[in-house]
Amino acid sequence: MVIQAIITAIIGLFVYISFNSVLTKLIAIEKIDDVNISILEMRKDEKNYSLSNDLNFLKELVKVGEGTQETILSSKSSVVPILQEQGCKNYARLLGLINQYVSLANSAITSSIPPLDFEEKFRTLGHELTSISEQLLKQERKSISHTINNVLFMIIAFLGTIFFIQVILLKYFFRLVIKEYSFIERLIKLVSKGRFQEVGQEITSHQNEIGDAIKAFSERAKQMEKCEAEIKQTGKLASLGVLISGVAHELGNPLTNISMMAQTFLSVYDMLDDDEKKSYMGDIYNQTERIQKIVGNLLEFSRQMKPEFQEWDIGEIVDFVLHLLSNQLMISNVKPHLNIPEGLPPVYVDASQIEQVLVNLFINAIQAMPKGGDLFISTSYDPESDNLILEIRDTGIGINKENLPHVFDPFFSTKGTKGTGLGLSVSYGIIRQHRGDIMVKSEEGKGTSFIIKLPPIKKSRGPEVAEENYCDR
Amino acid sequence: MPKKIIVIDDEKIICDMAKKILQIEGYEVDTFTDSVLALDSIRKTQYDLIVTDLMMEKVSGMDILREVNQRSPQTKVIMLTAYATLDATIEAIREQVYDFFPKPVKIEDLKKSVKKALAD
Repeated sequence: MVIQAIITAIIGLFVYISFNSVLTKLIAIEKIDDVNISILEMRKDEKNYSLSNDLNFLKELVKVGEGTQETILSSKSSVVPILQEQGCKNYARLLGLINQYVSLANSAITSSIPPLDFEEKFRTLGHELTSISEQLLKQERKSISHTINNVLFMIIAFLGTIFFIQVILLKYFFRLVIKEYSFIERLIKLVSKGRFQEVGQEITSHQNEIGDAIKAFSERAKQMEKCEAEIKQTGKLASLGVLISGVAHELGNPLTNISMMAQTFLSVYDMLDDDEKKSYMGDIYNQTERIQKIVGNLLEFSRQMKPEFQEWDIGEIVDFVLHLLSNQLMISNVKPHLNIPEGLPPVYVDASQIEQVLVNLFINAIQAMPKGGDLFISTSYDPESDNLILEIRDTGIGINKENLPHVFDPFFSTKGTKGTGLGLSVSYGIIRQHRGDIMVKSEEGKGTSFIIKLPPIKKSRGPEVAEENYCDR
Repeated sequence: MPKKIIVIDDEKIICDMAKKILQIEGYEVDTFTDSVLALDSIRKTQYDLIVTDLMMEKVSGMDILREVNQRSPQTKVIMLTAYATLDATIEAIREQVYDFFPKPVKIEDLKKSVKKALAD
């Protein structure tokens, strides 16, 4: 902006000065032209006198000559400064010649008989006058056309330079803007993928409007990341609530066993030999181990740890979750059918997050089969898309067509007060952050199937890819 | 001739303990952790009393109760459950369950109930 203003001011000044100089020269040339016309008039009088010898013509000549002398003197200040060296000499000479010319005419008027060489002298003087005046005029015309040409050239050169600078500057600015926009575009892509942390980490050194926008954007992303973590935790607590009710029942079995054994032990104590007594205590100990395992699994699931990406066999994660939900599956009369072939490529995931997704999906499946049913869990590798595919299919009530597009929306629930509407939306977020994909297919009355795609680790490319995957979170 | 009792529960320890206690009381006791095998046995053998868990894999305690009501209405059924819901209790009462115990069961109460059921 400042540069543009300076350039405009310089152009304005230059044009003003140029036109001013042209104008002064035009005024001067007008004066010189006037003098030239007067000289021609005097020559006309001189010619008329030589033809008629009428003194009136000489008087007329003297009158015009005196007027011209005055004109030359009065315009000296405006004309002389613009004349070049030769021009100045000619101008001074012109004044002298007119003076001689007029005094010669005066002498002819006053003396009744003019001297013999008067006419010869007079004509020579007149001729010289004309030639000097024309020379002066010619010089001045040449000078003015030169000045105009100069101005024209300068203006064109100036405009050309400005145009050139503008083109270069524009190109530079465009490149700058495009660079900034591509930066923003990258950030937007990260946001759309839910990878807020990376956006938050983007530090920019740009001290301009775009830099400010990016900073604001990063700040927002940091907040969003925090919100997302909170939502995730809320979702986890919600699934934990459902899990706990199942686990509480599951704990009932070993507790009942211990209670039964203790009561029996007390009531038949007298009849037991030492080995039997030991066996009772051993069994009680086994039951406490069982309780410990159940509680341990629950704690393992509820732990709030930093996301930890590791190489995992997806089958191991599925097994853990099935174990966690085994009692729930049993009492809901849901039979799991596993189809997890060996030798599938490992995935680079945060196991606790994937567990959360599976718990959500399994609990949904259990709830979709109130009278019991089958839960099919299968994994496969799709070489075409280079993805590990995990399918979870139930034989439950299914989802109707109106609800199907909304199942991943936050707070969308068909379970009324029993659901939070967070389970699937959080699961969606988790899978997207793993650079994977989750899809749903459902047919009312027949069942629902969720398909999760996760990118595997390519062994051949080693830890670089692992690192690349890691930057998800 | 001792009275014949069948105890059905997924948990082997429940079966074992119940068997131990009831045998001391002088009853003849069969135990099953598999409800399908238990149902087979009920169809073949005339039991005087059935003690069964409600929630089991495959065949539920309620199914056993219905089968017994149909086959030999004089046989009494005592039900145990860790998941005592009101619905299940009402259904069991409608199916004329003799007694209904939430787990963990107090052995003395169970003994009394068994004695009473077999005396009636």
